[in-house]
Amino acid sequence: MRKCISIVFWLLTPTLALAAPNPRLAIPSFSALAQKATESVTITLDPGLLGLAAKFLDSNDPQEAATKDVLKGLQGIYVRSYTFDKDASYQQSDIDAVRSQLAAPGWNRLVETRSRKTHADVDIYIMVDHDQAIGLALIASEPRQFTIVNIVGAIDLDKLHKLEGQFGVPKLDIDPAKAAPAAPK
Amino acid sequence: MSDDIESQLRAALRPVAPSEEFSQRLAASVASRHLTARKGRRSGARLHPLAWWFSASLAASLILAVGVHQHLEQQRLQQSGLEARREVLEALRVTSQKLNLAYEAVKSQSTSLTDEGNSV
Repeated sequence: MRKCISIVFWLLTPTLALAAPNPRLAIPSFSALAQKATESVTITLDPGLLGLAAKFLDSNDPQEAATKDVLKGLQGIYVRSYTFDKDASYQQSDIDAVRSQLAAPGWNRLVETRSRKTHADVDIYIMVDHDQAIGLALIASEPRQFTIVNIVGAIDLDKLHKLEGQFGVPKLDIDPAKAAPAAPK
Repeated sequence: MSDDIESQLRAALRPVAPSEEFSQRLAASVASRHLTARKGRRSGARLHPLAWWFSASLAASLILAVGVHQHLEQQRLQQSGLEARREVLEALRVTSQKLNLAYEAVKSQSTSLTDEGNSV
């Protein structure tokens, strides 16, 4: 009987692991685009580097102290941003590889903006697990720039709220109580 | 007959004082052994500080190497930490820039909706 239970457990473990939502996006290398870009930002911060960065943030500086607080629950920050000197330097298909991953269960679109004036499209997705934001994805595409941001880990909206007005973070009037439950896609 | 043998034995075993030459040789031999022993001790004492200096310099070199390694490791860690800090701040800057873009778009949409509502 015990043997049967252990066999069932071992068979179910990979299935359960697959079923768990994964907020980490597989971001392509975009090496061809990086060569064409006039400016590129590639940031890959895993838990180790985030912990190290937190140690070097000054707790006496209010801005850095708030940042340090935000970093506490995070497991990774991944940013890819490319700026080009002329329009249409990248294909929409370049972004679609990432966008398609956001159709996976667990991801919910929080914001979708399409500007006819600036031709800037911004999509913000959030992954919520047990009323806790565990991942954030942002895709911004403009005629000469596209940016992908993926933040992995427990995102405390209360703490994020404290960053508003700093680093140029706009005052979004995010109500953490309203933002935490999964928004409909 | 027996008295004869006895007297011969007594004569043979009688205590005889050592000759002057034997005494001199013995004294010379004892003196030379003493000198060799002192020389041996002296050469040992000369080696001892060398070994001590060797051990001390080895220990000092080891301590220095460990210290330099730790210092370099500390420097490397500090550089990585400062670089990670810079990347965190840059990531937040880029993210906030794009959040601002979304915010501006949402704001302009809501403003235009309000304007439309007012004009009706």
